Amino acid sequence: MYNIGNDIVDLKLAETESNWQRKGFLEKQFTQKEQEEILNSEHPFLKVWLFWSMKEAAYKCYAQRIKKRFFAPQKFECSLFSKEEGLVVYEDTTFYTTTYFNTCYMHTIAKVAKGERTFFSGIGSSKTIQLALKIKLAAITGILSEEIEKRKTSVGAPLFYHQQKLLTKSCSISHHGNYGAFVFI
Amino acid sequence: MTKEEIIGKLTTIVKPYIQNEEGFKNLNENTDFINDLEINSANLVDIILDVEDEFKIEIDNDSMEKMLSVKATIAVIQTKMNV
Repeated sequence: MYNIGNDIVDLKLAETESNWQRKGFLEKQFTQKEQEEILNSEHPFLKVWLFWSMKEAAYKCYAQRIKKRFFAPQKFECSLFSKEEGLVVYEDTTFYTTTYFNTCYMHTIAKVAKGERTFFSGIGSSKTIQLALKIKLAAITGILSEEIEKRKTSVGAPLFYHQQKLLTKSCSISHHGNYGAFVFI
Repeated sequence: MTKEEIIGKLTTIVKPYIQNEEGFKNLNENTDFINDLEINSANLVDIILDVEDEFKIEIDNDSMEKMLSVKATIAVIQTKMNV
């Protein structure tokens, strides 16, 4: 089964609400290799949140698939091919990630397959992101956005329906601070 | 330490991170940090570090993996405190 996950980080909020230099913060969430990469980076703060959003996007993809929730960020190991493209490996599963960032936020999309399969994504305000997703879905399906309904799976992943018909094969919505983001196939 | 005392301390720990007031008002053993309190997953590690400091315990990765609810967190705290 093909799944997709995403994660958005509001950089302003990450800076004020979390302290990555707090004792134990890096050790609990990052592998030895990731910690070294963070500490040797020119911008450790951005590296922390880049790795975090990669791990979280991959986890959201994985949790939909195995229908189980857990919190094991350290087990999702990140590596980068370039500034935006990377891999996250969890046990025997590899996720391919793409991260878009600017000065306000960072947004990562994770997929299980490398192929160029079509997906839809959007970034907006945290409050209206669900509406933005419905409008996008309405444009694709021709169904009125008011008739599109969200239901959650057992792991809390959203899926969108029109009456009994499932409109999204896999979907992920992320909120952090002022920002919201979605991705679906 | 009784379950009620642990819940009392946990309530203080999670307070700065909650985004759902209704869920927080009704906090009980069955409360889920993410589904009920809408705590951002980026703050879960802060909660785990705060629990370690407050209860003077060390939480290993296998225990941390389960700590998504009040019930699971109480179980971890009780096990670690009795070691």
